[in-house]
This record gives sequence, structure tokens and C-alpha cells, in this order.
Amino acid sequence: MICFALLFFCVQSAHSQEQTSPEEFTTALTGKYPPFSYYNAKGELTGFDVDISREIAGRIGQPSRIVVTEWDGILAGLLAQKYDAIIGSMAITDQRREKVNFSEPYYHSGAQLFVHRDNPNKVYAIEECDNLRIAVVLGETYQYYLERNYPEIEVVTFKSTIEIFEMLEQKRISGFVTDKLVGLWQLKSTNRPFVPVGTMLYKEQIAIPVRRQDETLLAKINEALCEMHSDGTIKNIHDRYFGSAESKKISAMKTSVIAAKLLKGFGITLIIAASAIIIGFVLAVPCGVLLTHKKGLLLLPHLLVRTIVDFLRGTPVLIQLLFVWMGLGLRPFPAAILTLGINAMAYMAEVIRAGLISVDTGQSLAGQALGLSGLQRFSYIVWPQAFRIAIPPLMNSVVALIKDTALIAIISIPEIIRETQSVISVTFEPRKYYFLAALMFFVVTIPLMKLSGWLERRIKRKGYAND
Amino acid sequence: MKDESNGRDMPMIKIKNLCFSYPDGTEAVKNISIAFPEENIFAIMGQSGSGKTTLLNCIARFLIPQKGAVLLNGRNIKEMGEKEFRKKVGVVFQQLNLFPHLTVLENMTLAPCKVQGKAISDAQTDAMSMLERLGIPELRDNYPSQVSGGQAQRAAIARGLMLSPQYMLLDEPTSSLDARTGSEFAGWLRELHEDTHFIIVTHDLLFAEQTAARGVVMRNGEFKESGEISAILKTFSYRENTDD
Repeated sequence: MICFALLFFCVQSAHSQEQTSPEEFTTALTGKYPPFSYYNAKGELTGFDVDISREIAGRIGQPSRIVVTEWDGILAGLLAQKYDAIIGSMAITDQRREKVNFSEPYYHSGAQLFVHRDNPNKVYAIEECDNLRIAVVLGETYQYYLERNYPEIEVVTFKSTIEIFEMLEQKRISGFVTDKLVGLWQLKSTNRPFVPVGTMLYKEQIAIPVRRQDETLLAKINEALCEMHSDGTIKNIHDRYFGSAESKKISAMKTSVIAAKLLKGFGITLIIAASAIIIGFVLAVPCGVLLTHKKGLLLLPHLLVRTIVDFLRGTPVLIQLLFVWMGLGLRPFPAAILTLGINAMAYMAEVIRAGLISVDTGQSLAGQALGLSGLQRFSYIVWPQAFRIAIPPLMNSVVALIKDTALIAIISIPEIIRETQSVISVTFEPRKYYFLAALMFFVVTIPLMKLSGWLERRIKRKGYAND
Repeated sequence: MKDESNGRDMPMIKIKNLCFSYPDGTEAVKNISIAFPEENIFAIMGQSGSGKTTLLNCIARFLIPQKGAVLLNGRNIKEMGEKEFRKKVGVVFQQLNLFPHLTVLENMTLAPCKVQGKAISDAQTDAMSMLERLGIPELRDNYPSQVSGGQAQRAAIARGLMLSPQYMLLDEPTSSLDARTGSEFAGWLRELHEDTHFIIVTHDLLFAEQTAARGVVMRNGEFKESGEISAILKTFSYRENTDD
């Protein structure tokens, strides 16, 4: 019941606060696609798309707000009204046109095949790649293009070009297809031993998608783009990022900025984890108790809690997260805390149920013989014993939940994984920063695991738990 | 069976035509009537399955009989308030059921503090004097898992006595004791009587003889013999009991 009440409250509060403020022009991009969107040496969001976004906002007379989100969920986020438009180098495709309306293109690019300089497979064109592993970023148009036109190619997908670069460097893939401009720029800034081969696979028009019904907004964007083309603004912005001077500077993010970004990301991870743990535990106690009562008036609440717990445990957290974020329309932070919280509730409630039923019924009977009321028997006799038994598995749930926070990057929360990826997108050092992120988790989870082990030994020594 | 009225102020448990059957149809107690006499320690003897623990659970209000009544000082226990009843009738279970997360002292002070509303310091003073009287003051800070079977048995009785009940029901008190500890325990229990009357349920005839003066023997949910235990033992041998 509490669970539903909380859900209802959150949905209500989400509806009362509109996702996109009418005063702001809210746009989305990934922040991991240099030089179109990335974090500069000061840790600020910048890039070609960022400047285009701000310029359009200025021209349509609204303050600019930019949401950083994952590419594979970016269109769904637009449809779920998380932002007004995507200005993140999205190519026009028929498939996308079925769902959204595109503006006039603001630049043109094309797909290009890149291979390792050593070219062990002796590949000089996409037509020669049959049965080879060719990488693309998940959800990009290149993936569908390759799958449709070259079914013999083994298309492998990655979250970003950074992972793809690493794979090709180790020659674990034969090549990759990406935007020609971006690919060339990235190769130049990272000194990777890759080369473009063959001609462009096809040309693409890059434009700004908006929701179907936002026709007025689309007209305003088109008007702004038209002005920007004719007065040379787009060319100026292009030169700012594709001119040789700027491209050399990008990867020089200061260590202090990186540290601040990672620590802030990890701080957000911990705050969300802590909030979810508190919500989870507070809900888990009554739910755990209800799971042990199947009779009388409590039968209905029991069945309700049993169904919720089974559903939450039997479905992936990622899907629950996306459902709460997009389906129920909650903002990212409440969505993350609520989803992880009720998910933790489900696992903790089962642990508490197991703890409660492992307390011998004679204990409660002895309390009754001493004249203690039902509530007193629960509070002073059954619960303390059940809780002590439940502590080690509860700690496991806490550790699992902290690790599950890695999933919330998908709903555009700047937590540790997202921040790590955005640092990697400009430093091109995935090994170092993924290891650092793992280390941060470890620093927090290892004391919890040690504490759990210590409590378990202590509980056994005192004879609370059955061996 | 002796069933006449006792002195006006004497505590008395009377059982009238008590019948109890389990949901599977097993008749565990068949139309039993008894007035527990004034003896400080009274024994209900019988083999396992004879119905003696069921009878005890009916007296302790853990089971509700289908027929008949248990009267405490003339009142049907069904009509008594939970607190009032529990204050008058204490129970020590076969498994003892000491609270494993509490020390012996905490086991003893829980009910006085939470049920009777005593201050913790007063309850602790009372508990300590009780432990000293029972000869186990050194156990105060031990957890139940840290004491022997005999000590745990005493601690469980001490916990029950904290509410100064008129009656204390003991279910198979020797089950966790060896023969030597059992006879020591019998001697110890005999010295305790004072204000509390003990009703002991046991299959151990020797222990019953060592502790109680009078008793009954149950078989198949009915009383077979009653009176002086020494007399019962003469006519009702253990062998006869087991052969049935």
C-alpha cells in the first residue's frame, strides 16, 4: 500500500512539474561525441551541436537548457517529453520520420569505413568485409544501413566510438563505420593508427527532430537555421570546432577537472543509492511482515505485496527504470530513486520474510506466556532476532543496489558511469578511467562486505543464527 | 478425583469436563475433570501422546477446548483478560524458549518492564535477588547459548517467577537434563515452592517422585491413576505403562 501511495505521489508531483518548462528551449545530446558535444578542459559542455543549440535558443527568444543523455534512448526521451528537440547530430531516416518531424538539415555528412593501418584483412572497401567484424555505435544509422545492405557482415555494436577504438587498436574487430567528419577528427586528436578506406558509403542529412505536434516550434527552428545559414553563423561555428587550432586543445582536460567530474558523479551515485536503500528498507519491513501473514484480514494485502515483490524480482531493473522514467513520466532523479528503492524493497522484503519465519514460533509463545502484547512480542522478541539473521543478506542487497546504480546512466543522470564515459570521450583512456570508476565502487562496497562478514561471525558466536 | 472447594483465598485451578480434539480428529483430551489440590508441586505423568501437553496448553490458554472449562479461582479463564491471566499463570516450555538475543538478566526484566511498567532499575534489582535466591547470580550477563542445559532450565523458571504467578506450568522440565542434573533440579525445585504452585508435566516417573507428592497418570487423553505418587508407582509400574 505504502509502495503504491509513494508511486502515486511521485506521479502526481511529476505531472504537476512539467518535464519541459515552457520558458526554456530544452535540447538533448550525448556529451560524448566530440567535437559535436563533449566536455572541455574546464569540464564545461561544449561542441558544435552545443553552440548550434544555444544559437537557436537565442534566435527563438528562449533560454537554452541542454540535457545530456544516452544515444540509444534519446528519441524515446523526446517522445516522452523529456526535452523539446534533439540537437545531437541526428541523421534523417525514414524510420525516424515515422515518429518525429525533422527540421531542415543543418549540416551534411556521410558514413565512412575505417580500418587499422596494418589492415590485416586487406580490406579496401565495405564490399570486401563479408564475414568480418565491423563495429558501429548502438542505435546509429550505420547499424541499420550495414544490416540491410551487407547482411554477410558481422555487425557488432558498442556504446561509443571510444570502445570501438580500443577494440580496433587490439585488432579484435576488422574496422568500424562512423561519420566521416567525426571519425577523421577523432583520429587526428587521438593519434590512433586507423585510416579511412573506400568512398563514403552514403551521404546523410543531419537535422533536428521535434515531436510531431510541435509544429510551431519546428517552424521557429527552421527559420532560425535558415538565418544561420545565410548570415554565416553555421560556418563560423563549424570552423570553431573543425579548424586545426581548436581540435588540438580538446583532449587537454585538466586532472583537477576530471577528478571533480568523477567525484561529483560518484557523489550523485551514492546519494541515489543511499536514498533508494532508505526507501527500500522502510518499505521492506511492513512488506516482509505481510509476506509472512496469509490469513484473515491480511490475506488481500499479502497477495498484493506478494504480486508486487514477484513482479519486481522477476523483471529487469533496466526495464523498470525506463518504464518509470518514460512510462510514468517521472523526472530522472525521482525515477531512479523510486525504481531502485522499490526494487531494493522487493529483495529486502524477501530477506526480512525469511528472517521472520526462521524465528522459532516458541519464541512468540514464550512472550505471550509472559503477558507481552502482539506488538511487544514483535518489537522485542521476533524482530530483533529476525533482523540479526537478516543482516548479512540485507548487506548483500545494499551492495547489489549500489552496483545497480550503474544502470541509471541510461536515463540521463550524470552519475559515475556517465561522467566516466564523458571523460573518456575526450581523454581516450578507457582502461584508466573505467578502472578508476570500478575502484570507487570497490572503496564503498568492500567495507560493507567486510562489515557483513563481521556481523555474520558475531551473530553466530552469540547463537542468534542457526549454523 | 478430589473436587471439593478449597479455602476462600486459596488459589485453585479446576478443570470441568474438558475435551480437546485436533483438526485431524485426534481426541487428545477426553472429558477430564480435576481440581488441582493445594500441593505446591503436582505432577501430570504419562507417555508421549497421552495428551498431557495438550492438557497443559489448554490450562495455559494456548489451545481452546471444544468442550468444558478451566476455572482459575472460580472464574472461567476464557473470560479473563490476557494480562490478568498471564500474571497468575506462568509457563516454562519444554524447549525453554529463552530469548537468545537477550542476556539472562534481560530475559527476566523484559516482562516486568514492558507488561507491568516497572522501572528498569527496579526490575533489575528484583531479577538479581531472584537469581541469587535461585543460586545462579553469575549468569546475569550470559546469553542463553552460553549457559548449560540445567542453568538454562533455572533461568527459564526464574524468568517465569518474575511476575510472581500463582501457578507455574512446567512442560517436561527434565527433557534437556541428564539423570544427575535431573535429580539435582528436583531438589532445587522442591525448595522453591513458597507462593507459587507448580504443575509439572513429565514422562519421567522418577523425577515426578523426587519432586511432587501427588499427581495423576494420563493415558489416551484420560486420567488412569491419581493420588500420592508413591502409591501410584506401586500400582502403576513404568513397565505396565509402556506395555500398553
